[in-house]
Amino acid sequence: MEFRDYYKVLGVERAAAADQIKGAYRRLARKYHPDVSKEPNAEARFKEMQEAYEVLKDPEKRAAYDQLGADWKAGQQFRPPPDWGSGFEFSGAGRPGSAGRRAGRGARSEAEGGEQDFSDFFSSLFGGGTPFGQAGPRAGRDHHARVEISLEEAFQGTTRMLELKRPELKPDGSLELRAHTVRVSIPAGVSEGQLIRLAGQGEPARGGGAAGDLYLEAHIQPHRLFQLDGRDVTLTLPVAPWEAALGGSVAVPTLGGTVEMQIPAGAQSGQKLRLRGRGLPGQPPGDQYLQLKVVLPPATSPEAKALYEEMRGKLNFDPRADLTR
Amino acid sequence: MVRVTQRLEAHVLGEGDWLAARQICELCRLDLEVVMELAELGVVAPRAAAAGEWQLPATALPRLRVAGRLMRDLGLNVSGAALALELLEAQHELERRIRTLERLAGDH
Repeated sequence: MEFRDYYKVLGVERAAAADQIKGAYRRLARKYHPDVSKEPNAEARFKEMQEAYEVLKDPEKRAAYDQLGADWKAGQQFRPPPDWGSGFEFSGAGRPGSAGRRAGRGARSEAEGGEQDFSDFFSSLFGGGTPFGQAGPRAGRDHHARVEISLEEAFQGTTRMLELKRPELKPDGSLELRAHTVRVSIPAGVSEGQLIRLAGQGEPARGGGAAGDLYLEAHIQPHRLFQLDGRDVTLTLPVAPWEAALGGSVAVPTLGGTVEMQIPAGAQSGQKLRLRGRGLPGQPPGDQYLQLKVVLPPATSPEAKALYEEMRGKLNFDPRADLTR
Repeated sequence: MVRVTQRLEAHVLGEGDWLAARQICELCRLDLEVVMELAELGVVAPRAAAAGEWQLPATALPRLRVAGRLMRDLGLNVSGAALALELLEAQHELERRIRTLERLAGDH
């Protein structure tokens, strides 16, 4: 695994005081927080910063990290020393996040919730199985994960292979995270942000009790054609001027396949039409909206130019009549 | 070759599903007291269940998770998180409407 320079990640000197570290983290968190940031790779940067702050804000972990020495460079191949963690006394139960560090009042640290997704470097130094990561018996907690699906998958239902990591007790009494793969059937009609519960797939109980549940939060990827709003979908439908003016039947793509639809005579650009029940399935199902966009044929050929000239001569049409009244 | 050790059937939680406030707090890493303060500010609408227990709609979880992250990671207080949440949602709605208008105008 590669060494991580936590001081470099937060942009502080190795001798930085605790309040300088906190200040640096706050400034970077404001810039890269995935809920508010538009920076590229904000989520990955933010995770790195969280990991660095998790170590440097905790005097015990920071002291242990500092003992590795100042000669390591980010990206260098690294293995924890064999006597790692010896010679330290740990406050609290030794669990990550137990040293009473909370950011906003009433908001528990991610570590306290057991939801970290930190690097192998962090896990090898401070995770389960190390003196920093010992945990006492307790009932299994609910876990939460994010799952991304396409709009078509949300419409039709889908299956996903998920790799779940579970802490398991090793013969020496320490815990290690072990991965196992499950196939999850996601029913049709899942909408943006909707929760999917997998009973008993959360954290296993330690020392008796029921395992927690796993909650997946569904996120639907942006679609090339359709825009999603709740269970409704909107499609911008280009139409020719004569289709808008005279009406006519046009082929319209929907999530369930192409359908024929009648455009009413006298339709205008921007007008919305509805295909009832053609959105995402549900009780009730969503609708599909068509936003009409009148597209003019280019006047590049002599025939097209002649037709436009004829319209100009024969139609008494002033699109700016309202402006001059 | 991936070895599948289990096949699981998912239960989708919809608008009619309610979760115990305790469960929601655990999933959002928030204290119950904070969730109730967020409820007072209109962020979520809990209902009383049996014997002094509270329940929250399952649909409230994504909002509460964002609120929890903002409080935890940026050090916001409850009012700040509620305001940030409202502004972020307004921003997302405006971005959605801009995308619709851009499609109509043919920019994208």
